[in-house]
Amino acid sequence: MQQPANGFGSTGLTVALLGNPNTGKSTLFTALAGIPTRVGNYPGVTVEEKIGRFTHRGRPIDLIDLPGTYSLAPQGPDEQVAVDVLHGRQSGVPRPDAVVVVADATNLERNLFLATQATELGLPLVVALTLSDLAERRGIRINAGELARRLGCRVIPIATPSRTGLAELRDAILTAGIPRPLPLDEAAPTAARTPAARDAIRRYALVEQLLEGVIDRSGSRRSLPEDRIDRLLTHRIWGTLAFAAVMLTLFSSIFWLAPPLMDLISGGMDLFSAWVSGLLPAGAIHDLLVDGILAGIGGVIVFVPQIALLFMLVAALEGCGYLARAAYLMDRLLVGVGLSGKSFIPLLSSFACAIPGIMAARTIENRRDRLLTILVAPLMSCSARLPVYLLLCGAFVPNVAVGFSWLRLPAVVLASMYAVGVVVAAAVAFILSRTLFRGPPQPFVMELPGWRWPQPGVVLERAREAVWSFLTNAGTLIVAMSIVIWALSTYPQNEPQIAADLEGNKAALARRLTDAATPDAERADLAAELEALETPEAAEAARRGAIQRQSFLGRAGRFIEPVVRPLGWDWRIGCAAIASFPAREVVLGTLAVLYDLPADEGEGTALERRLKAARWDGTNRPVFTLPVALSIMVFFALCAQCASTLVVIGRETGSWVWPVVAFTYMTLLAWLGAFLAYQIGTWAGL
Amino acid sequence: MAVACLTLEDASPGETVRIGDVVGDDRVALRLLEMGLTPGSTVRVLGRAPFGDPLELEVRGYRLSIRRAEAARVTLEAV
Repeated sequence: MQQPANGFGSTGLTVALLGNPNTGKSTLFTALAGIPTRVGNYPGVTVEEKIGRFTHRGRPIDLIDLPGTYSLAPQGPDEQVAVDVLHGRQSGVPRPDAVVVVADATNLERNLFLATQATELGLPLVVALTLSDLAERRGIRINAGELARRLGCRVIPIATPSRTGLAELRDAILTAGIPRPLPLDEAAPTAARTPAARDAIRRYALVEQLLEGVIDRSGSRRSLPEDRIDRLLTHRIWGTLAFAAVMLTLFSSIFWLAPPLMDLISGGMDLFSAWVSGLLPAGAIHDLLVDGILAGIGGVIVFVPQIALLFMLVAALEGCGYLARAAYLMDRLLVGVGLSGKSFIPLLSSFACAIPGIMAARTIENRRDRLLTILVAPLMSCSARLPVYLLLCGAFVPNVAVGFSWLRLPAVVLASMYAVGVVVAAAVAFILSRTLFRGPPQPFVMELPGWRWPQPGVVLERAREAVWSFLTNAGTLIVAMSIVIWALSTYPQNEPQIAADLEGNKAALARRLTDAATPDAERADLAAELEALETPEAAEAARRGAIQRQSFLGRAGRFIEPVVRPLGWDWRIGCAAIASFPAREVVLGTLAVLYDLPADEGEGTALERRLKAARWDGTNRPVFTLPVALSIMVFFALCAQCASTLVVIGRETGSWVWPVVAFTYMTLLAWLGAFLAYQIGTWAGL
Repeated sequence: MAVACLTLEDASPGETVRIGDVVGDDRVALRLLEMGLTPGSTVRVLGRAPFGDPLELEVRGYRLSIRRAEAARVTLEAV
């Protein structure tokens, strides 16, 4: 026996919303239950579970929003979950006491296919005819009473903007009865071989009978304004241009609109941690709280604006039906490399940040395509790589014209870094889709839903859900990880060793100053540097550098030096690369610390000068040359040095295998790319 | 097959055709049937995406997009 697991005892009801995708099911859910009380994944699968709660006539009702499904003969994990819940086979969810079939009134024939299957469930049933206002506008007239008689259950026209039919639907849920299953005409001849195919053909014959005389399309207007817009937007030329405009807007809004908000958040966090810092006495607890925990939290919430913005935009595009059209337009291009049209928006968003991009891959129903998209999304050069590119391009790429006077070499190198990511992503997707992910052909059967206005409630709700799931699922882990990395780069603090490191550095500077081989120009710099070391800021910076060099991380950097030598790196760069595991942009700060810069001068020109002055230990050979700069940039273009991305991949795929796969293949590619960049660069005499 | 029949892939934009059958008995074939491309139903080809693939169809009063590979499995009824 099913026990009422809803926590209401015997008075409560569990009701499932079943429907095709794009039927206004989410809108109806929000209209009935408001904000969901439970959002997450069904155990063991990455299918979203959404449950809301409302009370009607004193009966508390748990409303389950089932994943959109076209048929109860399930294909793919989403549809499987929907069917399992309906049969009470999904753990953690009670078998529903009643089912509301959400049927789009503008597309009744195909929607009734699922509704007739639902009559065979043996559960009380109600049919909600959503979008009936739109159907009316299109001149489609439906005799709901007659349809109800033929189906054997209540059929209630709903128009969510005016809330028409909602009260009636709530009543109907309480009084719904079990319909008798509608018999298929088993005698009807079909050429189909499998029982499922025969069932589908006979079911459509049944639906045609059900609708005979019930639906009146005689007043149907073929050409509404939105149809003309639609034809324009799927047109070969105009459609492509409009697509470019829409995508440019989407991309630039996450790229330009989010940063001021992110600055606000990180500024606020800085103020807050400065305040906390002032409250506590200096010491290990202070450092753990300020540099470990608060810095980790700041690193998580800084992603919130991008995630919220992207999900609002994607929900709006999905709501008005453009998401499917975008996938339709781009499909051919992405199929060539083993992806699908639906991969486009997640990949485009990843240029701003892979985290919202990977989360946006939720809109890809096909599991294989979704996984592939998630695995290559971090190769798109995100905004965190930009500061690394800008610093190194500005400092080490000669500012000469390439062909045209307006085309400068640093800009070409910068653009090449973006191209490297795209080309490698295409190659990886192509290879993976033909090896690891090879399988039977995946059906690409995609509905292009009718044009309609996006519902603001649904748009906001989607953003809220995305932010919430990021903060609760991924955020906590990311904070934990940042604390670990912070500890590794701060401990052990062995005072005699730190003092020895500081003295050693001073001695090296002094030796170079007195060395006859040192050019005079450099001699002045060295003298200034030695003098500057006497100021408290510089002494503090030097101390922080020494701590980091002596930490576990610093030792690891020296340990891996043989591995990074072929890339042209010294151990400090290796160390900075490891330290940037929480986030790529950290590499600049770490380099600044390792090269003993005061914190507030960490970025920009001071760092540039310091990098230019860096020498291999005990020699006069500069560390940073053009091949080394190229090698670092290529490494950061391809590496997976972003703990948050890896955590999000783990959460979104529901398995720790995929972040490991992503990290491994990206690190190997990054090393190989950096190796080639350095070796070819050196060979070419750059 | 002795006679090559026309398939949905051969239909040109603007054309209205009648479905003969869906070839094969895998999940792709089943999904095409479930989406309403059943034998005897009429389909209008609305257009093709900029790179020639996929196709946009009007089936049972709604818009459906399928790739050419799938369209090639939908045979047309002889006119």
